[in-house]
Amino acid sequence: MITPEIRLDEVSKFYGEVLGVNRVTLRIPPGITSLVGPNGSGKTTLMNLITGLVHPDRGTIEVRGISPRNPEQLMRFTGYATQYDAAPRGATGYEFVSAGLLLYGYSSEEARRMAWKALERVSLTDAANRKVAAYSKGMRQRVRLAQAIAHDPEVLVLDEPLNGLDPLVRAETIALFREFANRGRHVVLSSHVLQEVDVISDQVILIANGMIIAEGQIRGVRDEMHEHPSQFLIRCRDASRIASILFEMDHVTEIKLHEDRLGMLVWTRSRQEFSRALTRIAGNGSPIDSVMAADENVDALYEYLIGGGR
Amino acid sequence: MINNSFRLRQVWMIARLQLRRVFFARRSLWVYLLAFFPAIIFIGHGIEVKIKRERWGGHAVTTPAKLDSVREGDTEEEVIAKAGTPITDQRFRRRDEEEPERRYMRYYDGTRQVNLWFRSGLLVQKSTSNLIDFEEDRQVYAGVFQYFYLRLAIFFGCLGIFMNLFRGEMMDKTLHFWMLTPVRREVLLAGKYLAGLIAAVVIFTGGALFCFAAMLWPQETAEVQAFWRDGGASHAFWYAAAAALASLGYGSVFLAAGLLVRNPIIPAAVLLLWEGINGFLPAVLQKLSVLYYVQSLCPVPAPMDSDTPALARMLLAPAEPAPAATAVLGLLAVTALVLWFASRAVTRLEINYSTD
Amino acid sequence: MAVYKRGYRRYQGHLTGYWSRLLALPRFAWSRLMAQRLVVIVMMVSLFWPLACGVFIYVSNHTELWQGLDRGFTRFLEINPRFFVIFMNFQAVFAVLLAAFAGPSLIAPDLANNALPLYFSRPMSRADYVLARMLVLLGLLSPVTWVPGVLLFGMQTGMAGWDWFQLNWKIGLGILGGFLLWITFVSMVAMASSAYVKWRIVAGGLVLAFFFVLAGAGAMIDNILRVEWGSLLNPTLAVNKIWRWLLGAEALPGPEAYEHAIALAVMAAGLLWVLNRKLRPVEVVS
Ligand SMILES: Nc1ncnc2c1ncn2[C@@H]1O[C@H](COP(=O)(O)OP(=O)(O)OP(=O)(O)O)[C@@H](O)[C@H]1O
Ligand SMILES: [Mg+2]
Repeated sequence: MITPEIRLDEVSKFYGEVLGVNRVTLRIPPGITSLVGPNGSGKTTLMNLITGLVHPDRGTIEVRGISPRNPEQLMRFTGYATQYDAAPRGATGYEFVSAGLLLYGYSSEEARRMAWKALERVSLTDAANRKVAAYSKGMRQRVRLAQAIAHDPEVLVLDEPLNGLDPLVRAETIALFREFANRGRHVVLSSHVLQEVDVISDQVILIANGMIIAEGQIRGVRDEMHEHPSQFLIRCRDASRIASILFEMDHVTEIKLHEDRLGMLVWTRSRQEFSRALTRIAGNGSPIDSVMAADENVDALYEYLIGGGR
Repeated sequence: MINNSFRLRQVWMIARLQLRRVFFARRSLWVYLLAFFPAIIFIGHGIEVKIKRERWGGHAVTTPAKLDSVREGDTEEEVIAKAGTPITDQRFRRRDEEEPERRYMRYYDGTRQVNLWFRSGLLVQKSTSNLIDFEEDRQVYAGVFQYFYLRLAIFFGCLGIFMNLFRGEMMDKTLHFWMLTPVRREVLLAGKYLAGLIAAVVIFTGGALFCFAAMLWPQETAEVQAFWRDGGASHAFWYAAAAALASLGYGSVFLAAGLLVRNPIIPAAVLLLWEGINGFLPAVLQKLSVLYYVQSLCPVPAPMDSDTPALARMLLAPAEPAPAATAVLGLLAVTALVLWFASRAVTRLEINYSTD
Repeated sequence: MAVYKRGYRRYQGHLTGYWSRLLALPRFAWSRLMAQRLVVIVMMVSLFWPLACGVFIYVSNHTELWQGLDRGFTRFLEINPRFFVIFMNFQAVFAVLLAAFAGPSLIAPDLANNALPLYFSRPMSRADYVLARMLVLLGLLSPVTWVPGVLLFGMQTGMAGWDWFQLNWKIGLGILGGFLLWITFVSMVAMASSAYVKWRIVAGGLVLAFFFVLAGAGAMIDNILRVEWGSLLNPTLAVNKIWRWLLGAEALPGPEAYEHAIALAVMAAGLLWVLNRKLRPVEVVS
């Protein structure tokens, strides 16, 4: 039996000199998985690799046991809505969605039905007979989603699917992802905004500079953090000295120094004492750029994990 | 479920989806123009001939015998006495020179027109030409086919059509839609090539044949009948076949070029050059040219323009033509070779829109 | 009070001068073009022929070098309008090639990427944009056309002396004017093609096709209809005849130079029309 998993082993992709992704090893189980990272971090590259639009320079990829080099089989159960905001010249929304379906072997009657169903699911039936080129940004986003789900794929890969959607449609779209995931399918989506996806995802993968920085259930991590000592993120210039001062104090349980020596993550049992200590340190002439309560802000974690790598 | 007959069906479906893009796009209008432009001119020629025939036929047609009796040296009055009133009669005099008046008369005997030039009232020059000359028009058609169709229209037309298939979709950022369908890359290539081929063959063979018909249209019925009896159909067939095979060959080359090279002007220029210097190359290399085979198929050798410079004449001198079967097979072999390269390239093809 | 009236104030500061604003575009475009290997190679190659012509002028003006040779050869070595017309014909072809390689990268990407609003949201009108792009091409084509032409003419004047100049000054003017006419026309073809198809790469092919196909079509009309006016369609022939007239070389058979000039003007008007139609910051999709 084939494991219903997307596996990437030591996958690297370079665009000439430029790094796309570097030595990525991942196991993506069914459910909603979000790829989160800043611009140029390699999200699109990773998705293109999974769907065979680009080929890895090194490493191997398998999507539910099928290599992306075999589009004939892979695309039967995979749908991909890319970030490329383009549609075939002169095609209407309906034509755009239905055209590809014939290639799956569906009869034209079936294809028609499926295309309309997909358009219905993204609430685009009204505009279905207008040219895609004349759609608004959100409509184009949705019609691409409709095209990706039209053949009812097991693996749905979506590049920034929530971009440019109004709140109502966004909620509907998220519900659609949930429904897919609940049926044991893969939904892999990407986003720049961690808050946006961390509530809806079963798994979040943080990526920066082409490398996987963290993966797991961020929500779970955050829940844990509430019970644990408070966590603060400090950015300062003289991190190692400040860390050594802080480490002398009783209320500080753990300090993680950031690689760039310009920041650290501090766990403390007492917020008051911690803030007093900081005031003292700052008063003694050690400049502190910023202090953030990491556990109250997903972004802090995000920034901590990713920001330093930039 | 996935077997070769299904793949063939996929090829045909891709071709059908593509055909609309190739045939009906406003962008391909120029291809039609290119293909049908010569026919328009031949039709213009036909209309001109028909009008003249009509108009001159209305006059009393002078019998050939009377016209033959007109000699250089006759006076104007003698000519009019022998042959009657001309259909055209013009007098003119150069303003700047103190020359005697000149006169020009034209007679028509039903098929031939006779032009007479007089100076100082004496006939100084007599020339006879057919109102329409089938033999000459067939030569002209052969020239149009070889120089215009093969070297310009089909060349640039295929450049446009076949480059569009991959390179064009890359520019449009729509190629990935094809690569996200459940088809093998080779199937995709075949489908697209088929679409381009159908379009090019229909447009250019259609254009060439239509032009051939337009050339025949005003000719004397008897001559046309004689032509059909005397293997005219095979001429038409070989022109059509040459146009189709040229589309096949150039199509594969430009399809491959669209996959391999970013800037098609360079392969186009290289190919133009290659086809141009072809006559100089050793025999083996000559056989790697599309034009070489296609020209071997043409039923009437193209006339050499009299004012082509000697150097160009050498450039254009066709190599010893290949027999028809060899030509067709050779062309198919060249095409297959190029398509094989293209299929290698298409499996390695990646979506990389940003760098264009 | 409407929000925008309080919040938005248009730029009222000092504007740089019109020409320095306009020339910003060519400045960047030239440096970009010069970074393209192909463009540089074509430019280099197109300077060989002027060099050869320079050597020819040198030889022809040093009578001692060819004293013993026969009359026919002496006639061949004479520097006359015909010599310059041949020189110009060669350079005309290079101008077309260069325009085909370099021209389309100027406008087509702007249209394909919807960059026109970026230009027009600055103090720059459509006409300015066209003019700026035109200047890029004219600047690029000048070093292979009228600049070597005028240099050659100057060289001949320097060697043959004032008397020759007095007799032949029309040639110098003809070279300058004739080349300017041609490179303006070629630039317009390059710009109109790239505005028309919007794809840089196809536009280059279209530029080549424009000259090849029109010449072919003209020859075809002449042959089929047994007339001479078909060659009016051939821009290369047209400019050749105009040059012959300008330089006072013997005329070619067929239509007169002024008729060709009219044909060229009509074509230029058509090209301008295409530019005007296609160079719009917004495209309406029906
Ligand atoms: N076609 C390409 N050619 C060269 N470099 C590329 C290409 N595509 C991507 N890159 C580079 O690869 C890296 C990863 O790009 P990628 O598009 O995967 O980022 P991303 O995470 O999707 O960014 P965004 O959030 O902006 O969509 C970037 O540094 C980018 O510059
Ligand atoms: Mg991306």
